[in-house]
Amino acid sequence: MLLMVGGVFAVLSPRFLTPGNLLNVCTSASVVAIVGLGMTLAIASGNFDLSVGSTAAFAGCVTVSLVQQIGVALAILAGLATGATVGLINGLIVTELGVPAFIATLGMLTIVRGAALIYTGGRDIYLYGQTQYKILSSGLTPVLLALALAIVLWFVLQHTRFGRHILATGSNAMSARRVGVRTSLVLLGVFSIVGAAAALSGLILSAQVLTGNGRLATGLELSAIAVVVLGGTPLTGGQASIAGTLQGSVLVAVINNGLNLLNVSIFYQNVTLGLLLLGAIALEALRTDRRRTKQLTTR
Amino acid sequence: MDEIQRVPILAVQNLSRRFPGVLALDNVSFDILAGEVHALVGENGAGKSTLIGILAGVYQPSAGQVLLDQKPAFFPDPLSSQRAGISVIFQEFSLLPHLSVAENVFISREPRHGLTVDWATMNRRTQEILSTLNVEIDPATLVSELAVGQQQLVEIARALSAKTRMIVMDEPTAALNEREAVRLLEIVRSLAAGGVSVLYVSHRLEEVFSIADRITVLRDGRHIVTERRSAITEQRVVSAMVGRELVHSTRPSRTAGAIVLETKDVTVDGGLVRKVSFSLRRGEVLGLAGLMGSGCSELMEGLYGLREITEGSFLIEGRPVRIVNPRSAILTGVGLVPEDRKRQSVFPDLSVAHNLTIGNLPRWFWAFPGLLDLAGERRKTLDYKRQLNIRFTRPEQRISGLSGGNQQKVILARALAGNCRLLLLAEPTRGVDVGAKAEIYALIDRLVQKGIAVILQTSELPELIRLADRCIVFVAGEPRGELCGAEITQEAVMSLATGLSHRVTVDSASLRSVQ
Repeated sequence: MLLMVGGVFAVLSPRFLTPGNLLNVCTSASVVAIVGLGMTLAIASGNFDLSVGSTAAFAGCVTVSLVQQIGVALAILAGLATGATVGLINGLIVTELGVPAFIATLGMLTIVRGAALIYTGGRDIYLYGQTQYKILSSGLTPVLLALALAIVLWFVLQHTRFGRHILATGSNAMSARRVGVRTSLVLLGVFSIVGAAAALSGLILSAQVLTGNGRLATGLELSAIAVVVLGGTPLTGGQASIAGTLQGSVLVAVINNGLNLLNVSIFYQNVTLGLLLLGAIALEALRTDRRRTKQLTTR
Repeated sequence: MDEIQRVPILAVQNLSRRFPGVLALDNVSFDILAGEVHALVGENGAGKSTLIGILAGVYQPSAGQVLLDQKPAFFPDPLSSQRAGISVIFQEFSLLPHLSVAENVFISREPRHGLTVDWATMNRRTQEILSTLNVEIDPATLVSELAVGQQQLVEIARALSAKTRMIVMDEPTAALNEREAVRLLEIVRSLAAGGVSVLYVSHRLEEVFSIADRITVLRDGRHIVTERRSAITEQRVVSAMVGRELVHSTRPSRTAGAIVLETKDVTVDGGLVRKVSFSLRRGEVLGLAGLMGSGCSELMEGLYGLREITEGSFLIEGRPVRIVNPRSAILTGVGLVPEDRKRQSVFPDLSVAHNLTIGNLPRWFWAFPGLLDLAGERRKTLDYKRQLNIRFTRPEQRISGLSGGNQQKVILARALAGNCRLLLLAEPTRGVDVGAKAEIYALIDRLVQKGIAVILQTSELPELIRLADRCIVFVAGEPRGELCGAEITQEAVMSLATGLSHRVTVDSASLRSVQ
């Protein structure tokens, strides 16, 4: 699928296969992949996080505003901590107040977006001459970060007790509690990771333009969910495909980039992403439906 | 009734159905007479569901044919099967909960005035059909407000409204309580008396023997026998189902050891269960019995930390313990096999191995409790596979592909892998077929012999008698009496449970009966 789409664009646009363009594709794929990897964990645990776009923007603003005062490294840590904290709050709303993740994170989507705008006073924060911060988005850094995160999360899911507990909680939370899994703690961990991942992609985005902007990464939550679903992780929880999410991210980035090169308007790109998402979900529904008819539990 | 003169309304001839990797039906032939109650029995995986699927138009046969009134019939889709007069009532109902009873009965066949639905006629005709079933339900009630038993009656009413000649019922009493079940059996009889044939699919042999005119047994997709009820014994049906003579095992004599658990005046959740005191020794099985709502399940949940123990004390091996959640129960050496396998114990998306080890994940290295030893996990799974005779092909296989009995064995293995001293078994063989049931009993015997103490909560009296050394009978949250060894009989348990001092005759071996 990916090769096919890539091939079509390569034929249609001579600029598609240039090294510069491919790096662009990789960078934008990495930004979505990093959030998408966090989202994979959330979906595997039977949850969602709709607040990732806002979290990315907020974390970007926090970091950019702090670079001058505390230096790049500490500012980056502060940004990631901001993301993790937002995630933790999401988790607490879900586990302690019992609000479904969909609603909880939808609320946080607007709250955090608002917080980012309040924090910046609605203005852009510019960073002049901070070439050190630019490293985060230049060259292969985003790709390496995405790959590193993918490897870490894959390891967590395959080889750690925490990973196993995530899958168990997502598959059947009631059973998980009965075998002694502390499902609330598991979800707090998952939401914090999602928040930190969202923050990381927010930092990359803000480093690209050396600007803190409260309106950054609008709609990122939908692309993130799209790449997870395209990658074959079912929305019902209990399963996760890290490699699938990576592939999904590259596919979405290739399509957006190709359409850009062909001068297709951004509006049509939005339509394409939506159609892709619907197609992926319909395909998944078809698969599970077929499995069900096989077992003949429903008509 | 003179069966010889009746004609077959439907016959299957040399029917086969192949799925990738399995022959689900293998050359099956039998027929169903007009006005007959024909029972179809077999263990899970015997091919019953596939056969139903073919009659319902969900599957197509790979070979062979279905004859309707001695003429070949084809059901390429569910609609054509319904048009031919066959109604299938699946285990999971297909009613729409937010619509009324009448709307469900007449769905997609609503009587109309021109373009609008003729509500008056629809409600009146629903009422008529319900009254032929002797059922008092207001046709305007929403289905979601009905009890499960009533919903089933609505399914039957829907079948009747469509001029049905044959109704296929898949495990119709699985979700019903005893009173509803008795009622359903009466209705099945009256349907048959009215000329409708019923294919009654069940593995509850008592029911089958109480209503079937003829019984057909399938095993491994093959037809084993079709016989008139009067001409076959329950014993023969069972051995036809499992393919061998089941040794009717009895409770072995056991020697109890030191006291494992002692409770004093335990009260659960501020009074759901009150003042329970007992002690339990190593190598002993204590049964908890009672009708629905008697508090047995609640006591089990209290012992496992799923409900709060508000009063009383709880000693394990002489030391007082506080169990506040499942985690602390596990840490004190208590294991649980939950009552509802699908909702409370299985992880359907995870593999057999992951399901088995989830309660006690093997460490890769002792100093790193967070890292898993995947090779060790695989080994452990194969070990338990051998020990408990669990049937699966690979440890990585998803558990949802296993039969109920094998899933339950995985859950038992999970409890054992936790090295518990006290094992709580809630309905350990619910939804498990006859063969696996016997194996699970033998397994429990072995565990007990090794010194594990077991508390067994079951609504099946034969199971209680087979396994329990002692038994406490609960009524409305209070212990009403204790029975020991040979004193545990169906009559004794029922008379305590129902609060009757005189002996009652028990024609049903189930405690789910009277409510």
